[in-house]
Amino acid sequence: MIANQISLNPEREAQYLFTEPYTYSNGVIVTAADTDDITSLEDLEGRTTAQSSTSNWAQVARDAGAEVRSVEGLAQAAELLAQGRVDAILNDNIAVLDYLAASGSTDVKIAGEVEGESTAQAFAFRQEDTALRDEADAALAAMADDGTLTEISESYFRADVSTEDGEGEADLSDRASDNTAWDVAQDAAGPMLRALVQYTITLSLLSMAIGLVLALLVALARLSSRPWLHWPAQGFISLIRGTPLLVQLFIVFFGLGQIGIKLDPYVAATLALSLNVGAYAAEIVRSAILSVPRGQTEAAATVGMGYALTMRRIVLPQAARTAVPPLSNTFISLVKDTSLASVILVPEMLRVAQDYAGASTEFLALYSLAALFYWIVCALLALGQGRLETRLERHMA
Amino acid sequence: MSTTPLLSVTGLRKSFGDHEVLRDIDFTVDPGTVTVLLGPSGSGKTTVLRSLNTLEVPDAGTVRIDDVEVDFSQPRGRRDAEREFFRLRCQSAMVFQSHNLFPHRTVLENLTEGPVHAQGRPEEEVVAEARVLLERVGLANRADAFPGQLSGGQQQRVGIARALALQPRLMLFDEPTSSLDPELVGEVLGVMKDLAAEGWTMVVVSHEIRFAQQVADQVLFLDNGVIAERGPAAQVIGDPHEPRTRQFLHRILDPI
Ligand SMILES: Nc1ncnc2c1ncn2[C@@H]1O[C@H](COP(=O)(O)OP(=O)(O)O)[C@@H](O)[C@H]1O
Ligand SMILES: [Mg+2]
Repeated sequence: MIANQISLNPEREAQYLFTEPYTYSNGVIVTAADTDDITSLEDLEGRTTAQSSTSNWAQVARDAGAEVRSVEGLAQAAELLAQGRVDAILNDNIAVLDYLAASGSTDVKIAGEVEGESTAQAFAFRQEDTALRDEADAALAAMADDGTLTEISESYFRADVSTEDGEGEADLSDRASDNTAWDVAQDAAGPMLRALVQYTITLSLLSMAIGLVLALLVALARLSSRPWLHWPAQGFISLIRGTPLLVQLFIVFFGLGQIGIKLDPYVAATLALSLNVGAYAAEIVRSAILSVPRGQTEAAATVGMGYALTMRRIVLPQAARTAVPPLSNTFISLVKDTSLASVILVPEMLRVAQDYAGASTEFLALYSLAALFYWIVCALLALGQGRLETRLERHMA
Repeated sequence: MSTTPLLSVTGLRKSFGDHEVLRDIDFTVDPGTVTVLLGPSGSGKTTVLRSLNTLEVPDAGTVRIDDVEVDFSQPRGRRDAEREFFRLRCQSAMVFQSHNLFPHRTVLENLTEGPVHAQGRPEEEVVAEARVLLERVGLANRADAFPGQLSGGQQQRVGIARALALQPRLMLFDEPTSSLDPELVGEVLGVMKDLAAEGWTMVVVSHEIRFAQQVADQVLFLDNGVIAERGPAAQVIGDPHEPRTRQFLHRILDPI
């Protein structure tokens, strides 16, 4: 596995093995097309910039006296800029050129350069993969010699960024994109639907199933008079309900990864969502069980049933009827919560919409489309809930 | 009488917190006889009955039904206790004041639930028996109805049939008619009279004095956690010795 387009800096060079640089970039200041009073770092004093929180441009902006808003990526930053919510963006010209070329946006422009902030990008390898690195170096050298690199650069960025002194000035004369919101939405709908089925729905179903089993066990433990069952269950519910799902996702994915438990994004998301459903549904199941009259348990005991049989045949079927409406709410929330899995690299529907929105800047159209899809799924669920309730109510006086 | 009692209760005690509800209850019930428990509300009748099947666990004393005896004074582990209580519970069947039928099961399923799923008896056999029992309580045509679709009197007759389906040694009734509309009381008492005539051993908590007079072999008058008076129905109801029995009967028979 290799990582590409990694900006070189001394810390990284100590940690990884790099090829010779294949692109060079320098810092640029991006502003809205109609802004003309920001052309250099000095002009950022007292202004607001939008920066990806992990980039070192955020620090450069801060040093220049600007207030920094953290955003997810350049596309979101550019949208904030176009909407006038921030004044400028600092970034590598290469990233900006890439964005401008891909999006065809004319709302923002490169307004100036950042002096002395030039960087080189290379492929990064693990320290031990020397042979692989050398191969890549040889390939890069060949591409540089026969002009392939320059050609590629021109075609992607409309500028040659493959040499240190190359002109990073883009020729954007014919870049205007003629993709309408409607076109983009049409393009995105297929992949979004696929992601909806493949990730959003399967993640919801799987997490609901695992979560329900967990919830039942936790509820029974919480109802137990044995303290060693009761207290852990209580603690689990309190912990999960008392912390944001987003934080739980981060802990399961990034946190556990750091101590060697590297879970696949999908597995990590399933785990976090199941725990979440488990805690919320446990309280629902518990109160549903408590809502079954004590006489039912007593009658079950007098016909010879033990605890397990009483639960399975007498109490839980009756508790189900009470629990279905609130559990349906939990399920509907879960479907919507799967969108958070995008932050731990699960390519679910909202992530796909984000990607299309980033590339096209059609935020309104794509996010609305995502909302529509979620709404349809949740409406269908609500319909199913109604039918299930009718079925369960059938014989109850 | 020289027969061995089917039920013997000795030294039964029970407190709820500081409240001593049963103090030293002793009595026996011979096989094939009907015992009626009378007494004011809160005197401990229900607690006595529920002690016989360990729905309430007494603090001290012994209960023996047929060949199963539990000594509640004896300390024991949770698991052992559960096993012993379970064995005792299987000796009797109970009809509750509020019938406690399983609302999500049909009438027939209410009868077969215990024998098939708890006792593990063959379903065909149990279903056939259950239909006979429903016939006997006059509900053969409601086998597939759900409890919620029946009248109170019909529900209580299903409750009785459900208890009978367990083939218990002893039938326990806790005020089976007191939550019924007056015109529905007769059909339930009628079934109970039939059972008594068939030789079932029954312990009945009831305020139906006429039923007690007609059916009871033994009447126990409970007051404040002790058996204040006991004897044949004719004596305890017809000629009570204890003033508090007399007072109670007077209040029941002539409430205004
Ligand atoms: N589970 C319980 N917890 C506390 N007190 C109880 C409980 N069950 C019964 N009692 C009390 O015990 C006394 C006897 O109750 P019970 O046996 O139901 O009387 P009866 O059936 O004669 O009306 C009453 O004072 C009642 O309040
Ligand atoms: Mg009572």
